Amino acid sequence: MTSRSSTSASFPALLAALLTLILAGCGPSDAPSPPGATEAAKASSKPRVALIMKSLANEFFLTMENGARAHQKAHAADYELLANGIKDELDVARQIDMVEQMIAQKVDAIVIAPADSKALVAACAKAQAAGMVVVNIDNKFDQAVLDEKKVRIPFVGPDNRRGARKVGDHLAKQLKPGDAVAIIDGAPNAFNAVQRQLGFADAMAAAGMKVVTAQSGYWETDKANQVAAAMITEHPQLKALLCANDSMALGAVAALRAAGKQGQVLVVGYDNIGAVQSLLKEGRILATADQHADQIAVFGIEYALDLLKSGVAPADKETPVELVTAPAPTR
Amino acid sequence: MAGTTPAWRHWIGEFLGLLIGLAALITVFGLTTDHFLSGTHLRTIANQIPSAVLVATGMTCVLILGQIDLSVGSVLGFAGAMLGVAMTRWHLPLPLAVALALAVGAICGAFNGLVSMRWRLPTFIVTLGMLEMARGAAHAVTGSQTQYIGSAVGRLADASILGFSLPFLVALVVVVATHILMVKTVFGRYTVAIGTNEEAARLSGIDPRGVKLSVFIGTGVLSALAAVIDTSRFQAANPNAGLGLELNAIAAAVIGGTSLMGGRGSVLRTFLGVVIIAVLNSGLAAIGAKDEIKRLITGAVIIAAVIVDVYRQRGVRRPA
Repeated sequence: MTSRSSTSASFPALLAALLTLILAGCGPSDAPSPPGATEAAKASSKPRVALIMKSLANEFFLTMENGARAHQKAHAADYELLANGIKDELDVARQIDMVEQMIAQKVDAIVIAPADSKALVAACAKAQAAGMVVVNIDNKFDQAVLDEKKVRIPFVGPDNRRGARKVGDHLAKQLKPGDAVAIIDGAPNAFNAVQRQLGFADAMAAAGMKVVTAQSGYWETDKANQVAAAMITEHPQLKALLCANDSMALGAVAALRAAGKQGQVLVVGYDNIGAVQSLLKEGRILATADQHADQIAVFGIEYALDLLKSGVAPADKETPVELVTAPAPTR
Repeated sequence: MAGTTPAWRHWIGEFLGLLIGLAALITVFGLTTDHFLSGTHLRTIANQIPSAVLVATGMTCVLILGQIDLSVGSVLGFAGAMLGVAMTRWHLPLPLAVALALAVGAICGAFNGLVSMRWRLPTFIVTLGMLEMARGAAHAVTGSQTQYIGSAVGRLADASILGFSLPFLVALVVVVATHILMVKTVFGRYTVAIGTNEEAARLSGIDPRGVKLSVFIGTGVLSALAAVIDTSRFQAANPNAGLGLELNAIAAAVIGGTSLMGGRGSVLRTFLGVVIIAVLNSGLAAIGAKDEIKRLITGAVIIAAVIVDVYRQRGVRRPA
């Protein structure tokens, strides 16, 4: 080792560089600007809106952020946008840090898609107390926690339960009362996963279907695939699989293909991602729901700008969820 | 050590615990569910495990070498992403796209090996860096969007011989070949020697660099092959594919009695480790167990397997 002292001298430097790289991966994409720049921005009349997202590794949130960036470009004179996301969808602590960073930067408004509907309330209440407008998008804050902290944070976003209900209602039209169905849930600690399960269950109960099992696929294709494969062998009478997102629907479709049960078991999803478009056309996925991800953050930002101007008492605003089904055969 | 005991006693000692465990799981699930013991269910499990088997096989070799590769899941994601983009955007034919994906795996593995050797960095750090880089690259090439490919890639997973899918047979061949490589060849003996005591191996004239580089490249290629199989099964390439897979692979290897300290492990036993985890997952899903229960049981089984392995080793060592 002594013969390579020149390289071992660079070891700590390289290690540091590598660690910086790793840490930068979790850091905000827009580095905090120096204090001087903050003051300069403060001096200009343009309000600064901080958009705090969940994981940008998730297609849904990336679409959301891209929508916001496009909107800012088109309205560059109206506001400045500071968009940040976390690396891991469950990294709640990192998101709290981010809110505090934005408070320190004295932004005018924070638009946030919370990674946890309870844990982020305190940080957002602090931002409100510091005089910022806070708008909650996508994943609604827990009402009990809001009440306990005595804060009101307006929510702008889709009603996942209603969306899932629409998908489930559409599916029910293809089934007979008493048919056995199974639900593949998202991550069990996610509010929207719970809402979607409730929506699916509402629809199935209303139509008289029997939900024989409901298990989590943790939003992922391969986990959903394992669960779906076990479900269809254990419950051969299954007529439909209701998946809480489209990635999991892809896994369910693969499980049916492997079991030679394609066409015998219907599959529905949620989110309307690009990858399921041809499956919808081929009828291998019956329906999904489109929450117009690109519009959700935009609605939130517009809402925040309105509030900054008028200061009117906040009220919740529901964004549209659209049922997407296989296009009617044109031939 | 192993070569001195009679072959049959050696084999029983090696596999008895795992096979009993597996049989116990299958019995429990067979009794508690209606269709677990059916041919379809067992075939379903067989069709699910190939990618996990391949990744765990690579991981076992790395662990025997006394190293670790945390990047296997991300490399799987990156290689699958390249396969998806090559077919959907660049319209490359399947063989070329597969070759590209495998090359991606080889390059990632080579990077892990070369960087850690050139600057004498722990592979834990280098592969942790690669875990981030490869995942980032997977998202960069796909724009974070799942690429739907369709039956053009699906035919690989659909092909079957004697009721077993092509991926399953490929995985079996890889396991057997790697096992032979590790126990019957000089390369394998060098790997064990380096993993047991690298300095001693060096002093006795073994150059560890070639072995290390080969093992990391091999692991990268196996991850990429797993990506091809997964992409084919799902007919789609998801940039998040293989998230957290490194821990599953380590768990399978550990259940199979691989030492995290290096020098000890068997690809065949790791295969059984993968099967045990797959049977457990599938059985718990068939019962419809709650998710928190699933995780509790899976974790407990891993620890129990390692405890059993402690006794197995004592049993093997006592006669010697």
